[in-house]
Parts: sequence; C-alpha cells; structure tokens
Amino acid sequence: MSVGYVAVQWSPHKRRYDAVATACVVAFVATWVVTGRMLWKGEHAISMEILLLRGLGACAAVLLHVILAIGPLARLDRRFLPVLYTRRHLGVMTFLIALAHAALAIGYYHGFGVVSPLVSLLTSSTSLTSLHGFPFEWLGVVALAILFLMAATSHDFWLKHMGARTWKRLHMLVYVAYAALVGHVALGAVQTDRGATYIWIVGTGLVLLSGLHIAAGLRAAAIDAGQLMPAEGDAWIDVGPPDEIPMDRARIVAARGRERIAVFRHKDGFSAVTNVCAHQGGPLGEGKVIDGCITCPWHGWQYKVGDGCSPPPFTEKIPTHAVRLTRGRVEVSTVAQPPGTALPPLRAGAEEAHDG
Amino acid sequence: MADGDDAPFYVGYLPVPRRLSRFLWIVVGANLCFFLASAAILARTMSDPGPAVWNDGQARQFRGTIVAWPYPMLIDTEAATPSALLLVEVGKHGVNREFGALRNKRVVASGWTLDRGGQRMIELEPQPESLALESFADGAATDRPLTPKSLGVVTIRGEIVDSKCYLGAMKPGDQKTHKACATLCIRGGIPPVLVERLPSGGTRCTLLANIDGGPLDPAAFDRIAEPVEMTGELEELAGVRRLRVRADAIRRL
Repeated sequence: MSVGYVAVQWSPHKRRYDAVATACVVAFVATWVVTGRMLWKGEHAISMEILLLRGLGACAAVLLHVILAIGPLARLDRRFLPVLYTRRHLGVMTFLIALAHAALAIGYYHGFGVVSPLVSLLTSSTSLTSLHGFPFEWLGVVALAILFLMAATSHDFWLKHMGARTWKRLHMLVYVAYAALVGHVALGAVQTDRGATYIWIVGTGLVLLSGLHIAAGLRAAAIDAGQLMPAEGDAWIDVGPPDEIPMDRARIVAARGRERIAVFRHKDGFSAVTNVCAHQGGPLGEGKVIDGCITCPWHGWQYKVGDGCSPPPFTEKIPTHAVRLTRGRVEVSTVAQPPGTALPPLRAGAEEAHDG
Repeated sequence: MADGDDAPFYVGYLPVPRRLSRFLWIVVGANLCFFLASAAILARTMSDPGPAVWNDGQARQFRGTIVAWPYPMLIDTEAATPSALLLVEVGKHGVNREFGALRNKRVVASGWTLDRGGQRMIELEPQPESLALESFADGAATDRPLTPKSLGVVTIRGEIVDSKCYLGAMKPGDQKTHKACATLCIRGGIPPVLVERLPSGGTRCTLLANIDGGPLDPAAFDRIAEPVEMTGELEELAGVRRLRVRADAIRRL
C-alpha cells in the first residue's frame, strides 16, 4: 500500500528475500562455471564466455520454474505465501539474468561478423518449417521480450494505472514466456549432443509445474464446491452459524456467476466485503482482521471492516455487502454495495432487526 | 496443511511469526541446495568440446608459401613433409586483404595459431604488414608450386562448421547452438570444413569447396551445423583434405 511511488519500498523482508535470491543465483552460476571448468580442462576446456552464457541461460530457466511453482505452492500450503509476497523481485531478477544471457549469446554468436549482430540474429536461420533448422534464438527473444514487459510493469504504479484485471492478464503472459523458453531449449540445446539428458530435464520441469498447477486447481475447485451456494435469484446467501466463523477470520461464499464474498467475524460482530483485493485480486477471505482492518494474505493491503476503505492516508476501496442473522444463521446479501459504502456490522442479538 | 485458522498469518511489514520463520528458513535452505544441485547436474550435461587451442597471447611469425585452395593457406615447403596452416583475419572474416601478388611466393605471416589435433590455422594480426613477402639476402623470394593429389570420388557424412571456431576460437564450435555463428563466419570468408566423426572416436576435417574449385556455393549454407552426407571429389595438399562438391549434392541426414 502506498500514497506515493518509490522505486522499491524496501522492508527487512524484501532485503532478506533479495539477499537469498541473489545468493541462489550466485551459487548457481559459480557452481556451473566451477563444474564446467573441472569437467573439461586444458585443451578440452569450454570457452569461458560460452560457459557463462550457458550458465546464465540455465539459471534464468531454473528461476522461471521457481517463479511458476510459487503460485500453486502458496495455494496448496499457505506457509509459502511469504515467498509469493515479493515474487515480482524474482521476475525482475530473471529478466536481468536472461538479458545477460542474450547479450553474451548475441555478442559472441552474432557479433564480429560481416553483418550487424541483429541482422545475423534475424537471418542466420529462417527455416521455419524445419524443426532442425528452426531459429530457436527467436523463441528466446520472445521469452525475453515478455520478461521485459513484465519487469517493466511490475511496479505498483502500473498496477494502479492499468487496473488489477488488465495488469494480471498482462502478467499471465509469463506462461507464454515459459512456452517460448521450452521451445528455445527444445529446438536449441536439445538438438546438440546433450539432447537426451536435456529432454529429461525439460520434461521433468514441465511435468512438475503442470502437476503443481493441476493439484492447486483441483484444491481450489474442491474449496469452491464446498463454498458455492445454489442461490440463483436469491438475494441472500446462507453463511452458517455465527460460531463457525473463527474470530478475526472469514468464511468465503458465492452465488453462482458472481464474485465471491468474504464474511468476517471480528470483535464488533460480522461484516462482509468482496473477496477480491483491490491490489492484485488476492483472496481477502483468506486474510485476517488486524487492528480492525481486513488484511490481504498476498501483500498485506488493508481495508476497514466497517466500510471497505483503506485506513488513511491510503485511498483504496472495495465493495461491501450487508449481513443479517436469520433463525440463528448468518446470511449475506448478494448485492454488492459501491466500494467504500459504510455498513454497520451485524452484532450479536441483532436477529430481530435484520430478519425479514 | 497449514491452512487452519490458527495458522501463522504473515504480513510483510510486520514481524514474521515464529512458527512461520522456522518454515521459511527451511525453504531458504532447500532453495540454496536446489540451486546448487541443479547447477551441478545441468553443468555435467556439457560435453567435451574437443582438444582445440587458440594461442591468443603473443603473436608469432610463420614462414612459407601462400596458396589459395581456394582459401588462403600458408604451406611450409621447406619441411620434409609440407604442412599447411589456413589463414584468416581477426573476427569472423576470411583473408580480406589483397594477397594476389603473394600467391605461390615465400611470405612471412604473423599472428596467432589455432590448433586442433594438428589441423592448424593462423589468425593474422590486423596490420597489413602481418602478411608480407619474405626478404632474402640476395633480395629474391622463392616459390615452389605444389600439386594436389586426387583421392577420387567419395561420400562423407558429417557436419559443416566454420574452421576458425572449430579449431579453437570458440569451444564448442559445432552443433545447433553454434549454427548462427558458423553461418556468419562462413559468410565472412572463414573456410568451411566438414567434420567427420571417426569410428576411433576422433574427428577429421575436410575443407569444402565448390565443384569448380572455388569457394563453397552459398546455397549450401542452409545445411551448416546439420548432420549431412555429401559426395564429391576428394583431394589432398600438404596434409589438408579438400572435397569439391555441388551444393545440391549435400543431403541432410
């Protein structure tokens, strides 16, 4: 949350996160270079620039796998949410490593010749119909362009001005970047004498990521199945007995075809807001009430329980929903009030006032 | 699952709950191990680029007769068994200076050697005087024409690469990931060679020329860095093998 924009709102968490990520990258590249040097020595030594560009490329690919694994992991086990919290730093880091890989590859493979490196990049191979002749470098360029687009728009400034939905759609292009990366490796490194091992490595990454996404999707579907209420045409949804909602936590419900609603229990009673955080669409219902504010589990954005407004000086607002008690059960209105609409919380013993 | 309502709740700007902190340290350790292990495993997939050396330190002088076959070579005709060194310029360029007047003459070339299993090349120093007539006490330069030996029509399987990278300028200097570089080198006049993998495990290079003895037809460039088979006239000169071949006689395997 912010009222102004700075390049990075550093916090101890972000510093530690970046330090660990940098340590992982340095460890990867150093291990790669040392292993390569120990494996092939003297006359058989691999050129240092080739060793580096391969190491950087492999590191970017591994990081992209980690980035794509974080989302489903956090869905399957909420203890991974702190890793999701600053994931965009990993994205920017991946872009910079991929850029270094591309700069070395273009410089050494396409430089020093009779045409400019970019002309060489575009013309050295144009056999688009042949798997063996296909310019795998172009797929690398596509992946790099997407990573750049994502890194350049990763700041909250763009999130605010593009809107969460558009921003999220744009950043879903990471899956296109991943597909391009798989193609880049499959039509490049796999077609060398390292092919057999690389097929296994790329395949394993693909299977693991797909498995994680499917498992997370199945879990979300199972949760939805337990939460979706058949309330077509109904103005109110049954949430359940008041005691079933833990203090300072929520129960998520939804009418079919509508946005999910998070019904919170807090010290003043029960309040309901949209389940969608105004920041990145995080699931507010999986959050917690802290200091009288609903706190998003993804990035800690906060909204007051009474009106869905962020506490001053912040200005974000989310839709609210009316809550009532009917025959000892909490019910929530399917009608979303305009963002920031103040609604009194449902207090214990308020059944008479709301029933009807 | 840690999804219970008593599960520690993390907010980036608040202190990390103790239970979560322990878990996150495990994640950090696991990640470091994962990155170290994956780097070591992936790096081990890199194969031997072969015994090639680029002596790019102090430039040396070489003496011999310069011939164009069709690519310029320096042949040491004074030795009991003449041996040849291909000549190239710095970067991805074949000899692009005028050397017509030096053909079949004794010259001095200064530059850096590239060597792969006895197949050698000189990367000339960039200044013009790095390739000049050899001076003798009587002021005359000698020449000793050599005649290539025909080895008949042969069919060879292998991979077309540029000789400079393959002899040590870039290691590895072959296969798909090096295709663009090899194409750029050959376009720039670096002699193309066919690398044949021998049953013994070693490799053998054969210079590739057009059927008329001129530089390889650019129509063959699409086949660079691909497994190919070709049939042509094989010749040998000063230990260098050359295959004269038509571009349309190069077949992808």
